Amino acid sequence: MSISLPTYSRLELPLLGRRERVRAIIATGLRREFRRPAAIVVTVLGAAFTTITSIVLLIFAQILIPGQAADLTFFALPASNGLVLFFVSLMAAVIGAGLIADDMQSMAFTLYMSRPITQTDYLLAKAAILAPLVAMVTIVPLLLTALVAALLGRVSWAIAVEAMGISLVIGGLLTAFYTAVTLFLSSLTRRKGIAAAGVFAVNFGLTVPAGVLAGRIGNPSILYLSPWDDYVAVASVAFGATPTAIDWLAALAVLLGVTVLAALVTYLRMRAVEVITG
Amino acid sequence: MLVETAGLTKVFGDVRAVDDLTVKIPDGAIGLVGPNGAGKTTFLRLLLSLLQPTAGTAKVLGRDIGDGVPVRERIGYMPEHDCLVPDMTGVGLVSYMGRISGLDRDTAMSRSHDVLQFVGVEEERYRKIAEYSTGMKQKIKLAQSMVHDPQLYIFDEPTTGLDPRGRTEMLDLVRTIAKSPGRNVILSSHLLPDVETICKYVVILDGGHQIAAGELSQLLTGSTDRLRIDVRGDQAAFARLLKEAGFEADAGPTGLHVTRKPGLESAVFDTAKALGAEVRYMGKEIRSLEELFLELVARTEKRGA
Repeated sequence: MSISLPTYSRLELPLLGRRERVRAIIATGLRREFRRPAAIVVTVLGAAFTTITSIVLLIFAQILIPGQAADLTFFALPASNGLVLFFVSLMAAVIGAGLIADDMQSMAFTLYMSRPITQTDYLLAKAAILAPLVAMVTIVPLLLTALVAALLGRVSWAIAVEAMGISLVIGGLLTAFYTAVTLFLSSLTRRKGIAAAGVFAVNFGLTVPAGVLAGRIGNPSILYLSPWDDYVAVASVAFGATPTAIDWLAALAVLLGVTVLAALVTYLRMRAVEVITG
Repeated sequence: MLVETAGLTKVFGDVRAVDDLTVKIPDGAIGLVGPNGAGKTTFLRLLLSLLQPTAGTAKVLGRDIGDGVPVRERIGYMPEHDCLVPDMTGVGLVSYMGRISGLDRDTAMSRSHDVLQFVGVEEERYRKIAEYSTGMKQKIKLAQSMVHDPQLYIFDEPTTGLDPRGRTEMLDLVRTIAKSPGRNVILSSHLLPDVETICKYVVILDGGHQIAAGELSQLLTGSTDRLRIDVRGDQAAFARLLKEAGFEADAGPTGLHVTRKPGLESAVFDTAKALGAEVRYMGKEIRSLEELFLELVARTEKRGA
């Protein structure tokens, strides 16, 4: 024990502002995720599979979908790629579910809150850790597909750039939705397994039964319950493709509404959290 | 003033964990003592804004606790329970906490090496916290509270779970910090000898109330008008006989306390002779903190009953 260490002296440096503190949480959070094998595998596989299948669709579009024009409407196909749903659920479960729940479980939340940051800073930082990783599946493959399409001469650069812009918007919408919902679920429990199960329940527990029921009873309105169908409805219209069975505007309202509500409830929950134990 | 509160209250359901607490705590090394459930941890968490008061106000280092962030910039908190991130290394966590406190990356890293060496976590600093012993985790908690060099350190039961050697080491570290110029320490503990060896001022809580506060030396000296008598034998009978002889005498957990009057000494020895008891100490009312604490708690309980 070296309790008389000569280098230990009073620090007279000014402290950096809150933005830097939030950045520190984001940078450390991302670094920690990229050290976790499960997070790496899911992110790499998710980005790779969704990108590859989108490019394969691009290359074989004329054969696989006879009559598919090489224009903006083509990009509705990769946007509604079912692998996006699968991998975004997996990423949200593997990476996002523990972001708040783990801190509650280990009581590290006490350490965070005893530091000069607010609950809002903490929550924003956690969202900023999850969002770029989710975007690897929801935005990056769409951007790469548009880029490859232009490079291969399948579409003009003007169309490719337009597709990239639309991809950013609709991919951003899906990213915001999954980030908000996943953090909300993570803030509800100390056990990330439960939050992860919640993510799958929200996705497949709503998407599959909604699809089945809508077909059985012939009422497409049930599809509004499925976030994925809402997203596909918006994406189809955004890329100028044939609209799906549900109204895109209502679907957009559902997606935005749930995103804002989940974010708001999580924010209010975090503000109200009192560190009682730990 | 280090801490000033006025009517500070925190209620959890039916439990008033901190009840109308009005204290003025001066700078320096302060002991916050009380039995389990006295409201010590709740009080500390109110100071850190980890809990919102039900009523009342408090100022820490001259700032209202409602200000939150600027208050916490000047506080280093070592919580009682395990709260470390298990998959981080010791040095990683300490520098991370430094950065969240506002240090730049290089300063945070160099400070964390300094404080880890100070607390005695040297080679182990690169191991994951999950692999640490309880003693090492306590030292990491201490190090993270020090990394941004705050003006006020709040240590909540820092020796919890430590073996005697670990406890001595931890107390040495806390004492070193407390003696450093410009630093203030609030040491919360139910282990009274820990507080007695480090603090000059104590606040004693019980049931969410302050039951005593002041300079430790003054509190322990007690009244000069009274004597304390330690008796081996029937203390209650001893007190009764002294009362019958016209003296004011109270028997308590810390011995007999008798008001000085002419003839007291001979009355004490006559009583001892009559009862066949042995007088082991007769002198000033100097008490240990533990004795003072027991006396105050007994008095409070008696008043409550």
